[in-house]
Amino acid sequence: MTLLRRLLAQPYALALILLILGLVVTALFQPAFFTPRTFANNLRTYLPLILLAVGQTVVVLGGGIDLSLGAILTLSSVVMVQAFGMEADPGPLRTFGGVALGLLVGTLAGAVNGFCVAYLRLQPIIATFATSFIWGGLALWVLPQPGGNVPTVLQDFVRAYFLMPFSLWAVLAILLAWAWFLGTRWARALYAVGGNPQAAFTSGLSVERTRLGAYAAAGLLTGLGAFFLTADIATGDPLIGGPLTLASVVAVVIGGTRLSGGAGGIVGSILGAVAYYLLKNVVALSVFNFNLSPQWQTLIDGTVIVLALAAPGLLRLVRRQP
Amino acid sequence: MSETLLLQAQRVSKRYGATIALQEASFGLRKGEVHALLGANGSGKSTLAKVVAGVVAPDGGEIWLGGQAVRFRNPLEARAAGIAVVYQELSLVEDLSVQDNLWLGHEPPARFGRVDARAARARTEALLGLFEDVAGPRFAPETLAGELPPDERQLVEILKAVSLEPRVLVLDEATASLDGRQVERLFGLVGEWKARGWGIVIVTHRMEEIFRVADRATVLRNGQVVGEVRIGETSREELIGLISGEASRALHSAEARASAPARRTSPLLSLRVRRGRKLRGLELEVYPGEILGLGGLHGQGQSELLLSLFGALPGQDLSLRLEGQPRAFRHPSEAMRAGLAYVPGDRNREGLLAARSILENFLLPSWKSYHRGPLLDLGQARRAALEVGEKLKLKFGALDDRVTSLSGGNAQKVVLGKWLLRSPRVLLLDDPTKGIDVGAKAEFYQLLAELRAQGLGVVFYSSDDDELLSLCDRVLVLLEGRITAELSHAELTRDRLIRASLGVKEVVSGEP
Ligand SMILES: Nc1ncnc2c1ncn2[C@@H]1O[C@H](COP(=O)(O)OP(=O)(O)OP(=O)(O)O)[C@@H](O)[C@H]1O
Ligand SMILES: [Mg+2]
Repeated sequence: MTLLRRLLAQPYALALILLILGLVVTALFQPAFFTPRTFANNLRTYLPLILLAVGQTVVVLGGGIDLSLGAILTLSSVVMVQAFGMEADPGPLRTFGGVALGLLVGTLAGAVNGFCVAYLRLQPIIATFATSFIWGGLALWVLPQPGGNVPTVLQDFVRAYFLMPFSLWAVLAILLAWAWFLGTRWARALYAVGGNPQAAFTSGLSVERTRLGAYAAAGLLTGLGAFFLTADIATGDPLIGGPLTLASVVAVVIGGTRLSGGAGGIVGSILGAVAYYLLKNVVALSVFNFNLSPQWQTLIDGTVIVLALAAPGLLRLVRRQP
Repeated sequence: MSETLLLQAQRVSKRYGATIALQEASFGLRKGEVHALLGANGSGKSTLAKVVAGVVAPDGGEIWLGGQAVRFRNPLEARAAGIAVVYQELSLVEDLSVQDNLWLGHEPPARFGRVDARAARARTEALLGLFEDVAGPRFAPETLAGELPPDERQLVEILKAVSLEPRVLVLDEATASLDGRQVERLFGLVGEWKARGWGIVIVTHRMEEIFRVADRATVLRNGQVVGEVRIGETSREELIGLISGEASRALHSAEARASAPARRTSPLLSLRVRRGRKLRGLELEVYPGEILGLGGLHGQGQSELLLSLFGALPGQDLSLRLEGQPRAFRHPSEAMRAGLAYVPGDRNREGLLAARSILENFLLPSWKSYHRGPLLDLGQARRAALEVGEKLKLKFGALDDRVTSLSGGNAQKVVLGKWLLRSPRVLLLDDPTKGIDVGAKAEFYQLLAELRAQGLGVVFYSSDDDELLSLCDRVLVLLEGRITAELSHAELTRDRLIRASLGVKEVVSGEP
């Protein structure tokens, strides 16, 4: 009882509820989902969004938002694919150099966003929506048509299984890195800049540098997400990242991070990202089970997203009752 | 000059659009001295403090620190040079803990960018210990700053500056929301810091505080320095004269107190609390044409009492009567409709919409009364706002300026003014004169006297004992959610007030 209370009081209570809901419905309608193989495969497809959601969380905590993460993911992904070339084993230089280049491109794109917001003082929503077209356009220039190849070592790497699926190790690593980060002065600066920029400024922090750093970190995490996605699907696609932007914001919101900044964390966003996919899966299942025509799927998806976004407010109303 | 000055501001100027905040203002701070910076609301005190702190870049003039000209490009550089400022508009991050706020920007370092949590914790406890016994139980390292009451937030703010071990400490109206015991403790510490050789600048509107701690005072008027005096060689009247620029009148002394005590007719408002948040069994009545004071230390339930009257704390076991009729307000809007008005104690959090204009802030609770058909009658609204602004001597650029462009005291006047525009029947005031200068206080007292003459009931909490003593017809002293004393007429003395606040039994011989 008290444990339940404690859980409900967490900012990510909603993500947890949706996650459990999604798991229960999935277990009822699609028990095969939980066989180790399918489960591991699904987790692998969730990983890119998880990384984007974590990056988005960092930006939102600092008082911003980045609507170009999906486009950065695409750009970073096609850069990697072009660097790898067409051979199944292009050698370590091209393999690791390609990954490094992709990560660098992601980080730089994030830093450019951060520069626009922090130093040029553009509105985050507008600035990053605008740059998303730049990153998207660059991606089409780098790789006009879907295609390309990913070295087999990388494909095997993300499918590795050591005691547990690779994606779980990745999530564990993110959580450990986050735990370390929370103990640093940079974490204090990030939360302070998002919560009360004036106070952060008078306390001698650099609001601009902190914001820039948050956007660059999100770019790097997005680059990592691009790596996992590319290695997973083993090819390049200049339009792949589009839908992930909205999904990352949804994950952050149902994960309980305050959109105006200064409060929240990545645990909720990770749960939120997984919950997002489970709900999508539930929608797909119901469309299938009730013999609805597939056109309904987009509509229902959209409705579920709006409801999920509204839920934190509703939850707060429920909590307020004594 | 024989003595070397620790800090010197020379001919510093700053303007905001058409407003001149500082005009060639100079002042010098010695080592081991408490220097008061005085002036009416909007005279430029906070601006000067911000220039010294590197928050605001001056348009002209120089800052000298220990015999060297310095130019701070940001607060970090000023901090590094040993200047710490407690800002008037509190600058805590509400979602961070007290400890994280204290060390924000100068956390004790450990390896790999991490904060040395153990050292931070130990030093936090040592710092909080300075005020522990004059603060509540939530005054602890891990409490979120946003959960603290205003006085404890102010204490954290002070400690945050002290944690820098500065050479120069600026306290910009740091005592405005502290109660008597907390001020006492702070001034004790100021004495110690002074002995250590710190230079301390203190900004306050409370005259008695100046005479208690300050060694010298510099007086600003409209951005210009109009005088520098030694406290030992001046008088209250001379200071007030310098501040206001008028021939010394007894500005502060409130002639407002009614000559004849309020007629005990039937009460306007009566409240009976059986159990509430923070309040434990109490009863009170407010009569028309009466100013009822609430006294006591901070956080003894005064704010909760006012909020209960205003319907802002639903779910308590209480009964309320307005003009004899039982009422139950479930929401402030119901209380407002019934003719109650509430002026909150924390203007930054509850009183103002920071991003909106002065006009909109004035009209927020009363715009309904400025309608002509479906349209807002802006002309009439402006006239009404200007009238109240004039009454309160509001110093502002234009009605359409952002409310954040006002000086601290002037912002507080807007909070007050917006309720006066509603012409309420009962006025609930939660420390309303916090940060208001002597001149405006006198105007405000005058206004209260007028309102009282019109038969309003006023319930008035103040952290300034002088104000309760000079203004109120009756004072209820609260301690831990109960009324421990009711003082009126001859009983209303400082001594009694302080004793009752502390819950000390009366000593018969102590009274005349
Ligand atoms: N950011 C700003 N934008 C525009 N005007 C400003 C700004 N800050 C201050 N001012 C104006 O400068 C003048 C001086 O303000 P300041 O805050 O220094 O006064 P103060 O002496 O501290 O008053 P108080 O006793 O009310 O705190 C005021 O007229 C104020 O309106
Ligand atoms: Mg001020």
